[in-house]
Amino acid sequence: MKELENQGKKQTTDSLSEIMNIDRLVHSPARLSILTYLSVVEEGDAVYLLNQTGLTWGNLSANVTRLKEAGYIEVVKEFKDKKPHTLLKLTGKGRKAFQGYQNKMKELLDIKEPISREGRRISRLNRMK
Amino acid sequence: MDTSNQKEIERRVFTSFFQAGFIEAFTGIFLLQLGFPALFSRSGFGDWESALLTLPIALILLFVVFLVRRFVVTPRLGKVKFLPERRRKLSKLIIVPILTLIAGAIVGYIFTENASLRHIFIGQIPFILIPIIVFGAAAYFLDMKRLYVYGAIVGLVFPLGKYLETVIVSRNTLPATILFTAFVFLGMATVFLVAFLRKYHEPRV
Repeated sequence: MKELENQGKKQTTDSLSEIMNIDRLVHSPARLSILTYLSVVEEGDAVYLLNQTGLTWGNLSANVTRLKEAGYIEVVKEFKDKKPHTLLKLTGKGRKAFQGYQNKMKELLDIKEPISREGRRISRLNRMK
Repeated sequence: MDTSNQKEIERRVFTSFFQAGFIEAFTGIFLLQLGFPALFSRSGFGDWESALLTLPIALILLFVVFLVRRFVVTPRLGKVKFLPERRRKLSKLIIVPILTLIAGAIVGYIFTENASLRHIFIGQIPFILIPIIVFGAAAYFLDMKRLYVYGAIVGLVFPLGKYLETVIVSRNTLPATILFTAFVFLGMATVFLVAFLRKYHEPRV
């Protein structure tokens, strides 16, 4: 019983440390949404992202700046019909980071499910003591 | 979020660019191009004259569609370059209808030129098969299931019109059936466009 409890604790600690290693730049819902919608196209403009993500201009701009600073996306500003036009594209680094994030989350969620079931069983046993 | 989810997101993004009713508008214009010449030719005009009479209507409508797309829809949806995989699918979509139309034209020519075959029912088959194949290909390559239904409707218009012609003895039944379907599609296009305009507003910077 004790062994099982220790094993559970160790696995929980491992998964927690894994969670701490997650790319926080990608993990934010707004940025994750931006990266997701940019990952399914070759390039898209700001209006496209605005529509798909449902973010406000300010929020989109702030998060795009952070992703650009990290080198995850490429931003091209140009003028079309005398109007400013912003084109965004996922860089190789950004695509890699996004895929890495996806893989890590998948891995974590796969580990997490049995642990939580086991964890629930252990805590139930503890309560009975 | 696994690959299948990403594919679904990509499909949703792609189909969102077709929700302003352009497919319905093009289908309606195409049916007008079939219906009006049929109506005019039954009113004493020659085939070429009838086709030329309806051409300006189609061109005006196509120009309106182009203007709506350019100045109303694109500023609201934004611009996107899709992934090469999707672009390959789109290029395949262009090839299938072209091949089908060529084959249909050849079969149609054989049956209309050959007097002994002219009255055989098989002569109508291209009118049924071509829309079904073209819309089927579009539905498959554009990942839009509603196009299968459109294909079936457009494919059924001609035989339905022919059948109604035998029931309601009027020489204008077939063109009327085609034109009615055309206006239904144009009405649908308008409804889709209004729904689109209510959903998407032009962003202000």
